Order: sequence, then C-alpha cells, then structure tokens
Amino acid sequence: MRKMMRLGLKIPLYVASMVLVFILLTPILIPLTTAVSAPEEIPIYKYGWFDEVDFFVVSDPAKAIDMLKKGDMDIYFMDIGDPVLFKTVKESPELSYDFSYGLYYELTFNPVGPETRNGKFNPFYNPKIREAMNMLVDRQYIIDEFMGGLGLPKYVPVCKGFPDYERHKDVIARIEAKYAFDEKKAKDIITQEMLKEPNVELKDGKWYYKGQPIVLKIVIRGGVRRQIGDYVASQLEKIGFTIEPLYKPTAAEASPIWMQGDPADGQWHVYTGGWVTTVVSRDDSDNFQFFYTPKSSQASISPLWAAYKPAPDFQEIADKLAEKKFTSLEQRTEWMSKAFELALQDSVRVWLVDQTAAWARRKELFVIVDYSAGYWTPIWPYTLNRANKTGGTLKVGSENVLSGDAWNPVAGSNWIYDNIISTATGMGAFVLHPQTGLPIPVPGIVKSVNLEVEKGTLTFQNPESSGWLTMSLVDKVEIPSDAWYAWDVEKKKVVTAGEAGVTTAKVKIVAEYEDLIGKFEYHDGTVMSLADWVWSWPLNFERASSKSPLYDEAYEGQFSSWRQLFRAWRIVSEHPLKIEWYVNYTNMDAELIAYSYVGLAGPWHTTGIGVKAEEKNLLAFGMDKASKNNVEWMNYIAGPSLEIFSTLLNEAISEGYIPFKEWNSQYITVEQARERYNALKNWYSKYHHFWVGAGPYYLDKADVMAHTVVLKPFRSLLQRELVISVEGSGTTDPEPGSHGYLGRETVTITAKPGFLSVLEKWVVDGVDKGASATITITTDKPHTIRAVFRVWYEAVIGIVAVIVVIVILAVLFLRKKRK
Amino acid sequence: MLPKGFLKFIVRRSLVLLTSLIIAVYISIMLANFGGLIDEMVKADLLTTITMNIRNNPAYAGLTASEKQKIIDTLYQSALEAKGLNTPFPIRSLYYLKDSLTLDLGKALYLTSDSGSKQVRLIIMEKLPQTIMLFTTVTIINFFLNLLGGLILARRYGSKIDRIVSWLAPTSVIPGWVYGIFLILVFYTWLHILPPGGMVDYPPPKDPFLYFLSVLRHMILPMLSWIISGLFLGLYSNRTFFLIFSTEDYVEVARAKGLPPSQVDSRYVLRPTLPSIITGFSLAIIGSWSGAIITETVFDWPGLGKLLAQALSLPDPPVIVGEVVIYAWLLTLTVLILDVVYAFLDPRIKVWGG
Repeated sequence: MRKMMRLGLKIPLYVASMVLVFILLTPILIPLTTAVSAPEEIPIYKYGWFDEVDFFVVSDPAKAIDMLKKGDMDIYFMDIGDPVLFKTVKESPELSYDFSYGLYYELTFNPVGPETRNGKFNPFYNPKIREAMNMLVDRQYIIDEFMGGLGLPKYVPVCKGFPDYERHKDVIARIEAKYAFDEKKAKDIITQEMLKEPNVELKDGKWYYKGQPIVLKIVIRGGVRRQIGDYVASQLEKIGFTIEPLYKPTAAEASPIWMQGDPADGQWHVYTGGWVTTVVSRDDSDNFQFFYTPKSSQASISPLWAAYKPAPDFQEIADKLAEKKFTSLEQRTEWMSKAFELALQDSVRVWLVDQTAAWARRKELFVIVDYSAGYWTPIWPYTLNRANKTGGTLKVGSENVLSGDAWNPVAGSNWIYDNIISTATGMGAFVLHPQTGLPIPVPGIVKSVNLEVEKGTLTFQNPESSGWLTMSLVDKVEIPSDAWYAWDVEKKKVVTAGEAGVTTAKVKIVAEYEDLIGKFEYHDGTVMSLADWVWSWPLNFERASSKSPLYDEAYEGQFSSWRQLFRAWRIVSEHPLKIEWYVNYTNMDAELIAYSYVGLAGPWHTTGIGVKAEEKNLLAFGMDKASKNNVEWMNYIAGPSLEIFSTLLNEAISEGYIPFKEWNSQYITVEQARERYNALKNWYSKYHHFWVGAGPYYLDKADVMAHTVVLKPFRSLLQRELVISVEGSGTTDPEPGSHGYLGRETVTITAKPGFLSVLEKWVVDGVDKGASATITITTDKPHTIRAVFRVWYEAVIGIVAVIVVIVILAVLFLRKKRK
Repeated sequence: MLPKGFLKFIVRRSLVLLTSLIIAVYISIMLANFGGLIDEMVKADLLTTITMNIRNNPAYAGLTASEKQKIIDTLYQSALEAKGLNTPFPIRSLYYLKDSLTLDLGKALYLTSDSGSKQVRLIIMEKLPQTIMLFTTVTIINFFLNLLGGLILARRYGSKIDRIVSWLAPTSVIPGWVYGIFLILVFYTWLHILPPGGMVDYPPPKDPFLYFLSVLRHMILPMLSWIISGLFLGLYSNRTFFLIFSTEDYVEVARAKGLPPSQVDSRYVLRPTLPSIITGFSLAIIGSWSGAIITETVFDWPGLGKLLAQALSLPDPPVIVGEVVIYAWLLTLTVLILDVVYAFLDPRIKVWGG
C-alpha cells in the first residue's frame, strides 16, 4: 500500500515554489509543538456536499494565503512549508490548519572502506562511527532553526503517527533516549574508533590519513536540505574532519553521484537524503530490507545499495520481516523491535526529521486530513463540507490543475493533481481511512464481506471492521470448477478453473452487495447491469497478449503480478449481487484483502468506446503505446481524442457495437448497447467530455487552457420529482403535491377516493395506467401522476334505488294501513 | 518583374540566414541536451522512477525480486524506446535538427499539451495564443506609448516632464514581475478589485463574451506590470532617438520655414526614422511571443514562459529546443522580410544595378 519515492522526482515545481518563497520572504522562526493526533471518526456522504467545487491554479503559497483570508479560496491543496506563511495562517482568525507527516529527511552514508579506490579514507565504513552520528546531530536544532518548528525528530525508518510507529512506541522511545543529542559522547566514540585505524592520526584537532587531511565530501541538496547539509558539515568539521561540500540542488544533479555512482570510487561520503510517503502505510516491516540491505529492490539500480553489508543478524531479521515470515503479531512485534535497534547500530542512514507539513483552509470547513498526504486524500469528496450542510460552493486552489496527462479509465494520468480531482468522480466499494489506512465501506454498496482464509496464513481482522467483515480460518480453500480463471485471447472464450486445472487458493472472498443491478445509476443516467461487472474480464488478457490489437507491452508486468495472485471468480447471484473471488493475495490486515478485490463496476460503455478506438489504432490507453504507435494518448476530457470518440460513438450506434462480443453478447443486447451509447452522446453534447463515473461529483467542466475544473454534485443529477395531483373527489398517499427523491427509488402511491367517489384511472406522464388501488413508480426520472376520481355512480344508483324501493314500500305500507 | 540582381540578393540573404538558423538551432539542441549528458540524467531518472513504481505499486506485490527485475528491465527498455533514448545522442541530435527545420518539433520527454498530447508542436501551439494575447498586446501598447511619448518629450526637451522621465528611466531595470507583485498587493490584497492571477474567473463563464471579458480583467495587472516596467526607459530612449533626428539640418530648415510641429514630426522626424522603428517593432513583437517566465509564474498565466520554466526544471530538452526553434524561425523570416523591404524601399541600400 505504501507509495514511497525519493523526494524530488516528480515534484520539481513544488521544490521550485518553495525556493521562490524562501527567496521572497525572510524566514521568521516560530517555536511549535506539532503532536500527532488520534484518528478521527469519518462521516461519509456519497452524493456530494457542495453544489459546486471549483479547482484553479495558485502556485504561490503566499498568494494562496491572501486569497484564503479574503474568502476567494476555501482550501489550498498544497502544503505550506514556509514558517512565515504558517505563522500568518495561525494568527488569522478566518483560517485554520492541519498537519501531515509523509516527508522525511536523513543522512545517507557511503559504507565502502576503510579505503576507497582513490586511496582516501572513509570513516563511515565503520558502523560504530555511523551509529555515533545519531548523537552528533541535534535534530531539535534542525527543526527549530531551519524548519521553523515544522517537524518532529526522527530516529527510525517509520513515520510518526503511522500504525507501525504507534505499535512500537515504547521501543522507539527507548531508542530516542539512547541516541539523543550528545556531542561529547559522539565525539568520544568517533575518536576512539578513528584511533583504532592504521595510518589515521589526530594532529592539532584535525584527522589525517597517511599524512593527508581526511576530506569528507557531502552531497547537499537544495531547499531545507541545504541548511541541514551545512549544519552536518559544521558538526563534522568541529570534530576534526575537513569538509568539501558538493552543492547539488536537484535530484538530477545529485543522483549520478550518490545513487548511480559507485561508492567504492569515494566521490562522496554523506548525502542529504529525503523521502516521501504518499499514503498511510499499515505495514512497514519491509523498510529494513529496503533501506539497509543489498537485498533491497534499490540494489538493482544503485551500486550504493549493492555495497551495503549489514550484520548477519540484521540481514536475517530484515529478510524475515520483508518476507512476512512471522507467525503471530507478537513475533512480528518482537522482530520489529529488534530490527529497530539493529538499524540504529547499522546506521547506513541516520534519520533526522519527519517534516510536519501544514495545510491551510477556511475555518468553517470540516476537513479530514490524511496523516501522509494532508488534504490530498481521496476521501475528501465524501467528507469535506461546510457546517455539515449540503450546498454552497467550494473554491479549491492548487499548485497545478490538469497536468496535461490524459484522463482515461485504463492507463490515464498518474499525477496527484489529476487524481485528486478524478477521484471525486468515481466510486468504489470502500474508501481508505486517511489516518489508519483501513477501508471504510461506502454506504449503500456492500452489505457484507466474508473471508475464508487458509489456516497458517498470517492475516488478522481489526475490530474496526466488525460491522461488515467476517473472517474464518479453513483447512483448504477450494475453487469451484465453473469459476472464471482466464480469457483465451485466440479462441475468444472464457477459461474456467476446471478447464485450467486450478483447484485451490489461499483466500475466498464473498461479497454480498446491496441490490444494485437495475438500480445503481451512473452520471449519464444509465443504470448498472450485470454487463458492467463482467464485460471487461477479457480486457486484462487482451492488453497482456501480443496477439491482441489491445496489447500494451507496458502492461505485461502488472498483468503477470495480478495473474500470480488472482485465481478465479464467479457471480453467485444477481439480485442481490453476490460475487466470489478466489485469490492467493494475503495481507496482515484482512480488511485490505477484501479492499483489494471487492470493488464497484464502472459503466462499460465509456471504456468500451475506448476499446473500439484502440482496436482501430486511432488512440491508445497507455502513454508509451501511444507514443510508439504514433497516435494520441486517449484522453476522455480534452484534445483530439474527443473528436475521435464522437465519430466512433456514431459508428457504434449504427453498427450496435459490443466490445468483446463473443463474451459480452450474452450480457448486452444490441438495443441495450445503443441505449448506452446514446446516453453517452447526450452526455457529450451537454458537458463536452466523455468522463462518466458514479462518484459524489461529476465533471461539469474541464477548461484545459485556463487550468480550471468545475465539479457538481451527483445529487443534482439524481434529484427526481414526483408531482402527484388528483382530479375529482379523493386524495392519495403520499398526498398530492411535489415530492423529491434522490436517485432510483420505488414509490408506491395509494388512491384514497372521497365519499361516493371511486378511482377511475391513474395517468402517469400523460399515459393511462389503469385503476388499481395502488400504483408503483420508479423514480428513474421526474414523473407526473394524476389520480382521476369519479362519482361512484353505481353506488349512487344503488342507494337511490334502495331509497326509492323503501319509499315505495313505505307508501304501500301506509296505504294498506289506512285501508 | 523583379530585377535579377534583386533576386540574387534575396537568394543570397536567404542562404546566409538559413545557415545561421541551422547553426543556431543545432547549438540550441546541444545546449538544451548538455551535449548529450542529459541523456544519462534522464535514463537514471527513468530507471529510478520505474523501480520505485514497481516497488510501491500493490499490483506488483505478488512477484518475486527477479520477476520484478525482469519487469523493470522491460519497462525501462520500452520507455527508452518510446522516448527515443535508445538511439545515440549524436544521431538523435540530427533527427532533432531535421524535426526543427521542418517544424515537426518531435515529442516531449515528460510534458504533455493541455489536451494530453506529447507533440511538442501541439504543446507550444496551445500556449502560444495566451502568450500572444498578453505579451503581444502589451508590446504593442508599450510601443505606441513610448513612440508618442518619445516624440512629445523630444519636442519638450529639457522641460520638467522630460527631466522627471530621465530621472525615472533607471527604474526600468526593475523587471515587470516585481511590479506585478506590488500591483497584486495593491489591487488584490489591499483594494480587492482585480484578480491576483490566473486567466479566467472560476467557474469560467459559459457565455463566450463574458469569458472574453473575464480574460481581459485577468490581463490588466500583468499588462500593467510590463507597461510600468518598460515605460520610463522606453520614453527616455525614444525621446533621445528622436532628439538626435530632430536636430538634423533638414528638420531645422523645416522648423525655420514655419511648419507646424506636428507636420515637422510626422514628415521630417518620423519618416526617416521609420526603418529603425519598424525593425524595433518587428523584433519586439517576435520577442513577445516567447512570453516571460517569471511574470507568467507570478500571475499563473498559462503561456509559453511558464511552459519554458517547466521544461527547464524537468528538464525536457525537446520542448526547450521547440521554443527556441519557433523563435529562431520567426526571427529569421522577419529579418529576411525586413532586408527585402529595406532593399526595395530605402534608396540608401543598393543591392542591384550600377
């Protein structure tokens, strides 16, 4: 689940803007305490809180704060790294702020030595010297002096506030105490270790190797890392080393030295590293192997990692943790605790600071902040609101809006600036809690999930999921022979598990959905059918097969990974929808297994039209494929793709196109296909794009030139009015008048005739619908219902007849009596 | 029918300018690519990004280390191929040159156009209208303001206003974006009457006319910042320029004959200076088409300047070269046209005949 990257790879503008801010404003230091708060309860509303959400570009944080104060912006989707600006936010009565913690800094050491190829001495080959470096740097000084208080001291390779930090708080506290800043102790250890080295001597407070000063080359990056690097250099200089700073502000400049260069060449000794984690990670047990050992995936691209030589016990425990070989949570805790201690003893990396990123907004907004990504949390469309009320406009400033990368549902833009908007237009069965990283069910989608897990699999259920998840351990998970295992690209047929000889899996997931088929609506007004769930089963296989026109080389790897973990699936029932998945994927958190497979189907026809475009080699879902085939990258919201889609849509309507028709003809009729394409055509003519989802908001307008986006709430499309009226004497239940409904509901209307009245007929949208006592209406669109009552002639005549008879009888009786 | 000598002159000038263009473009290609060194940075970046993506993407969680490595290698090779990095730089530089000269401009390494295309031509053409709209407009305004102001000041040489302009001329060393920040502070932060940046209101007006008005409103501050920045130096230099011409003997004679000042200006001062003015104007217009990096950034104006800033920070050499090539072509053509026009019109330039 973790998304971690070297800082500076995809955020050059962010760094540039930070630099600009630092140039324009003189930093004022403000002491702060930025403690991590407890996870919050999450209220979810899935139809869109605001009547309108506007995204626009404000790249300068100072300008953004000004706009926030004036009410021209409600929230800034970019963190405020500058202490001066943060002080402004803190002091402004109109504004509020939140913190996130996914960015962290460290010192990376060259571990090769004692002598590098150039004949120079490298003290950091010695783990004890590296370990002592933990005490030589004053983390709090770095935070106070260079970061304006926006940070927390860091000693271990997990982020503050993340689950693994909280689980091992006691061990980490001991480590923090043991390695607290102690310049003298650090100096003593380093001196002691240095003096053990042959040819090393200390003369007049300076270290020499074979008569030459020991020069330490420190690769120093830009931004705050420049100050950190200078500070570390001064600390090392104080204890007798000669320093040669190598200022390399960007990743592109520094990477060839520290990452791609061979550390044995001795071209550098210390690098001021930075890392970012973009989602809350629930399991950081592989961090030790990743950061400290030659078995790290980084070793294949970096000679530095290949040069790591951890102590055998550290390597062993790091491997066992990475491979999840623990058999109980207690054992995991024990190993993690040991690994934390061994990591400090190894210290090829000395962790310095978890940066506290501040995010600013108007005070009246209710916001759930992601511990890692701040306001960039995919849960915002469900939670961000003003005073717990629907309505109003939300004005969102962002450093960038519409990156320019294509939006498509298969292999579209991966930019956070795009994803944070597109996520509001799509809906899944779950959203991840931005603080615990556990899934929360979106209301009205999934009723329950049941997991059958093979005994011996290390998976645990958290108490938070007791309302929707049940888990049991079983001896064996058998796959039914009729479950779908694969798609044969050449024969164009489904391969069942029985045919493939696949019989067992590690986990069986059974999801029981609400009654969605025929009821759940997409933005363009089309209604979910079974086809939406099954149509794309061939797409995975077609994209991974060189025999298909949809083949994309870049997808092969992802497919083979998926294939190894995914065994088979089948649909057990349609009403209510019940699906079974058989998988080999396991996770320590049972909820995350369910989250990985239990989803919500999107509308088939929108992606289907993309399939048609790629089949004809007019567009391509993937960027690399588009580039190789010299066609445009498929973009559902702008550019030349729209014209192509528009033409293809007309073609699809006239020919009744069904994607993968050998398979899908059993789920989609030509008429149904045409109906879907016509809905999409109407959508395009109204909104000028083809981006259709089912999320809380729909894309009303994407102005790629002005880089602004307007979202509107799904509820505005779902609002349906039933206008009930009566003619004659009588009423109805519900009463005559206008009644509002959200989405597709089944409403039963009962006629209540007045005295001596009777229901003559129901007239629905001008059409006579008979005279039954009740009528059932589906709110698929606005309807007018008229209950027509008439005088109950039969009863009146009967009564009159009875009266006449009585009168006649009475007259006759009286006459007889007189006689 | 053009004289033979004139045609020969055009051909000769065209060849000289084309040669200059080819050399300039190739130098730009070499500089933008650091002589090919940038390939190594881009390759390292690609490899790291792919490796990190594979590690962090849960979709690859089921693979062993060697399987992941195989995928990394495949994706890396595929990305190299897609970006053309599998061809050695010296050969690729010639392709770049060919693309540049034919105005194909090739494909960007990282950047995409607003509509999602990798074609450098499209990326630039998408931004060009916004840049022309803002900076060409302001260049034209500046030009006429300075021209007329310069004439007036030349006429009032030594007056109070002339002295004030002379004193204020050094303030033009302050770049437009600095004034931009002050203007934002005054008109947005303080008065709150003009937008602090962007190109259009949000949500953008649906009515095209209102959209246009909204864009105009957003153009006021960036335009004003450039007008203020260039005003005093522009006035000063134009005034000095006209002053030199207005002290020519034939101007003095015209004045002595009692011609009204407006006639003296238009007939005896402006006319002989027209070639220089047209040259300056043409070059200023072309110059305006490259936008302004910091001004566009300060005002979040989606133009070529901001694009260049992005291309430089990534770096994305095809986009950098693309912008240079467009400018180089425009400059070359303008110079050629001006040469031809002068040769044809200016009797002092003799390119054919005895």
